[in-house]
Amino acid sequence: MATTKLLDIPPQPYTGEKARLTRAYDYLILVLALFLFIGAFHLHVALTVGDWDFWLDWKDRQWWPLVTPLMMITFPAAVQAVLWTNFRLPLGATLCVSCLLIGTWITRIFAYHYWNYFPINMVLPATMMPSALVLDVILMLSNSLTVTSIFGGMSFALLFYPSNWPIFGLFHMPVEYGNAQLTLADVFGFQYIRAGMPEYLRIIERGTLRTYGQYATPLSAFCSALLCTLMYPLWWYLGTWFATIRYVKTI
Amino acid sequence: MAVTTSGHLPAQAEHEQSKLPWYIRDLHKYLLTFAGLTVMYVGLRLYQGAFGVLAGLDSTEPAFQTHWMRLFHIELGILALVFPALWGYLWLTRDQNLEAIAPKEEIRRYFTLTMWISIYTFAVYWAGSYFAEQDNSWHQVSIRDTPFTANHIIEFYFNFPLYVLLGGSAWLYARTRLPLYAKEISLPLTLAVIGPFMILVSVGFNEWGHTFWFREEFFAAPIHWGFVVGVWFALGVGGILLQQVNRMIELLDKIEDLP
Amino acid sequence: MFIHIKSYVASIFMALVFLSVAPNNAYAHGEKALEPFIRMRTIQWYDVQWSQESLKVNDEVVVTGKFHVAEDWPRSVPKPDAAYLNVAIPGPVLIRTERYLNGQPWVSSAALKLGGDYDFKIVLKARLPGRYHIHPFFNLQDAGAVMGPGHWVEVTGDAATFTNSVKTISGETVDMETYGLVNGVSWHVLWIVLGTAWLLWWVRRPLFIPRFKMLKSGNEDALITPLDKTIAKGILVVVPLFVFGAYAMTDSQHPNAIPLQAALDQIEPLPPTVNNGAVNVKMIRTEYRVPVRTMNMVAQIHNYSDQPIRIGEFASANLRFINPSLDQPGKNEEDTLVAAKGLVIDDDKLIQPGETKTVSMAAADALWETEKLDGLFRDADSRMGGLLFLYDPSGKRYIASISTSVIPKFD
Repeated sequence: MATTKLLDIPPQPYTGEKARLTRAYDYLILVLALFLFIGAFHLHVALTVGDWDFWLDWKDRQWWPLVTPLMMITFPAAVQAVLWTNFRLPLGATLCVSCLLIGTWITRIFAYHYWNYFPINMVLPATMMPSALVLDVILMLSNSLTVTSIFGGMSFALLFYPSNWPIFGLFHMPVEYGNAQLTLADVFGFQYIRAGMPEYLRIIERGTLRTYGQYATPLSAFCSALLCTLMYPLWWYLGTWFATIRYVKTI
Repeated sequence: MAVTTSGHLPAQAEHEQSKLPWYIRDLHKYLLTFAGLTVMYVGLRLYQGAFGVLAGLDSTEPAFQTHWMRLFHIELGILALVFPALWGYLWLTRDQNLEAIAPKEEIRRYFTLTMWISIYTFAVYWAGSYFAEQDNSWHQVSIRDTPFTANHIIEFYFNFPLYVLLGGSAWLYARTRLPLYAKEISLPLTLAVIGPFMILVSVGFNEWGHTFWFREEFFAAPIHWGFVVGVWFALGVGGILLQQVNRMIELLDKIEDLP
Repeated sequence: MFIHIKSYVASIFMALVFLSVAPNNAYAHGEKALEPFIRMRTIQWYDVQWSQESLKVNDEVVVTGKFHVAEDWPRSVPKPDAAYLNVAIPGPVLIRTERYLNGQPWVSSAALKLGGDYDFKIVLKARLPGRYHIHPFFNLQDAGAVMGPGHWVEVTGDAATFTNSVKTISGETVDMETYGLVNGVSWHVLWIVLGTAWLLWWVRRPLFIPRFKMLKSGNEDALITPLDKTIAKGILVVVPLFVFGAYAMTDSQHPNAIPLQAALDQIEPLPPTVNNGAVNVKMIRTEYRVPVRTMNMVAQIHNYSDQPIRIGEFASANLRFINPSLDQPGKNEEDTLVAAKGLVIDDDKLIQPGETKTVSMAAADALWETEKLDGLFRDADSRMGGLLFLYDPSGKRYIASISTSVIPKFD
């Protein structure tokens, strides 16, 4: 009984046929949104974060934790702007990231593994799910664009690397290979032949600002956090702008 | 089948023959289109699996002409037939008496429009997600030697025009059958169709870049960002949702509820 | 059109049939599309060999060879400050276990020196059965893939028996085919389940039209319940704690983890083999006669060695034009890229030590056209290059890298 009560839904404006009709509309929109965000968000991510997410030997300390959250906070912010403002649905970020992961996993398995024989562990995607969940609940609890931009944006970026280290940390074990020290991830890149991805193309561990020695990751994560606090409102407004309800005379 | 609103209510008339609720009268067509598109896309992927390595590694080989350029020409032929046929149908069967439309019929058409947009986003999925990232995978196997690689022939020259076709169809459906969209032009619906259309245009920029100064497969490279900006316009769907919700609330207030 | 549709249907049918038997019978690799001046005047390959043609899964094939980095490097191609010796095969059907440049193990990218001579060795281990055409090739930054010659290799056996173990510095042996997969998938599943649960928590209730209506009518409080807020607070606390806990645990499990390695390898060229001073070749004039597909070259050759020499071969972009009147090793006449009688010298006599002689050579074969090197005249850079091989009576080889602008003759 307690469970039933827990799952009770507050009184609704529609009953009877109108309730069924609006529910059918919900399902249609959900299917539409599912494929829209798999297609659109995945394309956005593949062409901005892409290589860092595709390959083990791109997931470095410096660029991967900077670029990934920065480019992945975009659609979540824009979708939250619509779903929270108009429907009080705090799921924009989780929805986008779930869609992204569906699209990514399907591709990694069927395009990389079954078509072109890459082992799946070489093309494991990163996850942004913890960041997305926290972003959604910060927006819901604060109901504030400013608070969500600052604390949500920062959390989104700062949670990224620690969320993914349990998946990818073990690929950073050192190996003596070809008279050099490599990580296992580098060995994957060397062994499993890729015609269009020569080693020199990797944008990893580049840059001269090494004042703080080997503490590259936290610095990249905080840099990303700062940028995400700016990127979030930018995309919130972009989402709001695209979600215009205007009708115009001419285009 | 003409849909011009007349004295009787088509929604009611058809409802009598169908077990489906009147507002989702087109559900079967919607699901069938989904199924048909799925079969087609999976078929194309199976074709790639069979003939990618076998005949798709070198554009100068005769086998490439047979298996890939032929497919390319067939795709163009299909698009050349389907585009005018579908858009022509939508235009010729337009409702010429939209002022007389009943609230129930308008609601039903909003459902059908949503189905059209949903089919459009399904095509966006295959073009923007699966076959797009697959490009990276394929170009690790083949050395890029033509704008018409085994994945481009499907992705750029079929998937992209196809979703443009379907997006345009959704736009035309709204324009020809729903009063608000017929009276004026919906900005978000137009953005959601035009933006991704520009992705197709970006193919030219992409191939120019790869021809002159970028031979490797670096996916996050600036020459690909034209595609990215195009896909942002998909966010216009948020505006379509809000336009629809606003109108549907008005329409629901005009009809009687049933238990 | 009907015939097209029929062939298309037939192709789909064939595709399904082929899928069940998974053939792998790859042809060339698109090398002909690269501009001729890049193929002829960047990496000049020679003596490329394969240790065996048929092998079983887990067996190794060793590809060895040499190349000269052309002195007359095209102006439009960035200098080879970072280059990567790769292998053209249809995906990782074989894996690369070792690679050497000038005898030095080589795992990263390296800078090549213009005019430098190098030899290489690549060890490939068979992973999937099939028949593959294997080329060594160079990825040159922003220039494209400069292919070496290719060779068919047949792999038989059972793909399931393939093994690839790597030992870490700490002594752990790792199976590269599966390492970290279950762990990675498990973490993804965990987060996807949590994300889905959050989505379902909201999606289970009426969504768009009712919520919009309730919000606009000021009934906002009913949209977010106290329980929703409690769950959200739980997520806000538990998710970060869990994430940082798992991070700390992973960190303690792998205390020796290192960053990805990004250094360039430093490998010096060999002592000069090509253009090493024994023979000097200066190109006077070169014409390409389009109708007869013949490159006519006039060269001034000075023999600085202490032996008389004769021209044996001209090679460019993997095409080899052989002087049939000279008995020389490694002619490899059955190779489709070898024109066994393709090089004709007008005054084919020994060039004595100290002698300077002007020689006319004709490299003639349809290969110029079939390999699309005759496209040179439609390029912005219509200079060509290649290697000229000369031999003394003992069979000792002297190599000159030549380059010259080419005048087309359409008569």
